[in-house]
Amino acid sequence: MKRSGSAGSLIALLVLGILGLVLFLGLALFGWYRSSYNKAVRLEQGVQEAWANVDAQLQRRLNLVPNLVETVKGYAKQEKELFENIARSRERYFQAGNVAGKIEASSQLSGFLSRLLVLREQYPELKANQNFLSLQDQLEGTENRISVARTRYNEAARLLNTYARELFGSWFCKKAGVESKPYFEATEQAQTEVPQVDFSTEPAEPATR
Amino acid sequence: MRRALPILIGAMVLPVMLAPPACAQVKLPKPSHYVEDHANVVNADHERALNGILQELEQKTGAQYIVLTVETTGGVPIAQFSVELAHDQWKLGQKDKDNGMLFVLASADRKYWFTPGYGLEGFLSDQYLGRLGRDVLVPYLKAGQTSRGIYEANLQVVQRIAADAGVTLSGMPDLPRAPPPRGPAWGRRTGLPCCSLLFFLLFFVMLGGRGMGWWFFLPMMFGGFGRHGGYGRSGSYGGGSFGGSFGGFGGSFGGFGGGGGGGFSGGGAGGGW
Repeated sequence: MKRSGSAGSLIALLVLGILGLVLFLGLALFGWYRSSYNKAVRLEQGVQEAWANVDAQLQRRLNLVPNLVETVKGYAKQEKELFENIARSRERYFQAGNVAGKIEASSQLSGFLSRLLVLREQYPELKANQNFLSLQDQLEGTENRISVARTRYNEAARLLNTYARELFGSWFCKKAGVESKPYFEATEQAQTEVPQVDFSTEPAEPATR
Repeated sequence: MRRALPILIGAMVLPVMLAPPACAQVKLPKPSHYVEDHANVVNADHERALNGILQELEQKTGAQYIVLTVETTGGVPIAQFSVELAHDQWKLGQKDKDNGMLFVLASADRKYWFTPGYGLEGFLSDQYLGRLGRDVLVPYLKAGQTSRGIYEANLQVVQRIAADAGVTLSGMPDLPRAPPPRGPAWGRRTGLPCCSLLFFLLFFVMLGGRGMGWWFFLPMMFGGFGRHGGYGRSGSYGGGSFGGSFGGFGGSFGGFGGGGGGGFSGGGAGGGW
């Protein structure tokens, strides 16, 4: 009697222990699941925020463009093709439905805009125009804002994309409906375009002197 | 098992080491003074005066304003250089106000850049800063008066920040009333603003006399009086405690130790000379 009683309490203790263990494991598993799932959500949120910032800065630049083009037009009427290209890539940006399309259109626009700014070397009166100088300041500031926002976006996208390729991360990302995001690197090409234009204009100057 | 362990550890550590470093191109020690003259182009008087006024600015408005000169940015575009320092490394400005400000001049590159934090962009627009650089700073730089150019251009920005915060800086000197030297390009480029500047100066000279100092009127121009006192710090810093002595700056950099945590968008303006 005494023996079976102690055995019963032992079994009860064992069951309780196992139950506790299971509960503990379950909680731990749940905690892990929750934090992993939330990490996917949080990373995507970070990317979206960073993109919103990029988008705002791109928008800011697009708003500057018509004024800038108008000002330059007054001095450089013959650059029609450039003006048309700028207008077209601006349109394309507004029509682009997704991030990748916007990235492409805006890096195109970057190339054209840098060519527009280089025109000041060919039309010296432009350099004296206060309106042009002011717009140029704003454009330069905004270009730098874009490149900063772009770097931060890429950083956020890199965090997400890394997670999305990890062993469990990929599973949780799928579970949360989170997809990897495109990087915004296209502007790098546009930036290398600028010196090319510079080369064609700068040697011409000493030659005429 | 014994062999497997190092491999396992290696497999865990290696990806971390291989991960690309996040934009660590720019490296400079944290500033210990408001004026960090690495290129040695600011003279002692201007440096002392700027350090004093920038310290007072931080005490009264919380804005952390660093004036930095370097010889070169090492091939990094100066705008990018500025924002990496200001935002990523030094985190200038208070976290909730984002009121940091960084001025960088690269003497050998012949480039400069003004970068305001998010919180200052409203009244320190690219437009304003671009014009300030062209109309005030560049003429001095072209005339070889780098120190004076840095001093006067940055004082204008300081004054604007103080005016927006609705505080008057007791250490703010009367800026010389003569316009910056006219280089050959200066007169041609800025005929109109030069005239209006002269007009303004004349106006203030007539109105303010010498004693008052025309800076007194600046807050009115920028609408600063409406927000008087709404921005300043808790008041533990008395108003007139600064009466002109900028001496004791023994490495104590008020409130910078932890890095304010302010953010920068990368906006601003600058150019070359």
